[in-house]
Amino acid sequence: MGLIRLVVFGFVGLSVVYFMVSIYSKSVRREKLEDRWGEDNPDSTDEAAREAFVDQGMVEYNMGIRPKLILLVYVIPTIIVAVIHFLTTY
Amino acid sequence: MMQKIKTGFFVSVFVLVGGLLHYVLPQHDIVRITSTEVIRTDFTAINRLFYAQADSGSAELETRDLRLIYTEKKKTFLLGFIARDARQVMVYRNEDTGWIWPPYFKFDSSDLQAQAAAVGTSGGENWAVMTHYGWRNKYLSIYPNAIGIRAVDGPDVRVIPWFNIFFFIFVVAAFLFLRAMWRQFLERTVDPAMQDVGERVDAVGDAVLKKHGRLRRWLDTWRK
Repeated sequence: MGLIRLVVFGFVGLSVVYFMVSIYSKSVRREKLEDRWGEDNPDSTDEAAREAFVDQGMVEYNMGIRPKLILLVYVIPTIIVAVIHFLTTY
Repeated sequence: MMQKIKTGFFVSVFVLVGGLLHYVLPQHDIVRITSTEVIRTDFTAINRLFYAQADSGSAELETRDLRLIYTEKKKTFLLGFIARDARQVMVYRNEDTGWIWPPYFKFDSSDLQAQAAAVGTSGGENWAVMTHYGWRNKYLSIYPNAIGIRAVDGPDVRVIPWFNIFFFIFVVAAFLFLRAMWRQFLERTVDPAMQDVGERVDAVGDAVLKKHGRLRRWLDTWRK
C-alpha cells in the first residue's frame, strides 16, 4: 500500500517538476533565439521573418536531445530511492 | 512593527525548517552497544508523531512492540567546537520507516536488531558507528531511530557525512534553479503582461481624457 502511495504521489509531484522545467527550458531557448536574431539582424523590423526564425529554432529544439533529457526528472529520483533503499537494507 | 513581524516570521521559518532537518537527516554516533530489548509501547497523541509505523508487512494496531538498542555513546563536540571526553547512555528505537516518511526506505528492522545483538555480544568493547535520525526526549519518551550499524575497532573514527554534504549541495542548487525559473517567468510572462495591461490602461485613460478634455483643462487649472 505504501509503495502505491509513494508511486502515485511521486508521479504527480515529479510531473509538476517536469512541466515546470520543460516550460523554463523552452522559454530560455526562445529568448536565446530572439537574442541571436537581434544580434544578426540589428536593423530588421521584419516581424514575420523573426518569428519564422524563432519558430524554426524551436522546432529544432523539440527534435533535439534536451527535451528528452528533462525526462531524467523521473529517472533520477527513482534511482536515488533505489540507492537509499539498497544502502539502508543491505 | 512590520519589520518586527517580518523578522519573527523568518526566524520561525528558519527554526521550523532547521528543526525538521535536524530531526530527519541522518547523523552518526559512535557507540558501545550494550544490549537490545523489545518493549510494548502505547503511544499518545503527542508522541505518536515521533514514531514510525508497524513493520511494513504487519497490521497497524493501537499498541505494539518496539525494538530498542541500548548503548553507551561517546559524547560529541559540545556545540560543535568543544571536545568532550565523556560518555553517556543512549537508547535507540529500531523501526521500519516503510515507503513514505522519513524517506529511508528501511524494512530491515529485525536484521538490524540481530546485527546490533551480534555487535553487542562480540566480546571486547563493542564499538560501532550508529547511523540514526530523530531525537531522544525523556519527557515525551521518544528515541532516535537506528538506520545502520557498522562495527569499528575503537572510538576514534572519523565519519564523513556524505549524504548530508550532497543533500545541502542539492538544496542550494535547487534554490538557485528555482530562482532562475522564477526570474525567467517574471521576465518573459509577467512583465510583458503587465506592460500590456499598462498600455491598455493608458489608452483607455487617454480616450477618457480626450472626451473630457474640458474637464481636464479645468482640473489642470488647479495644478498651477
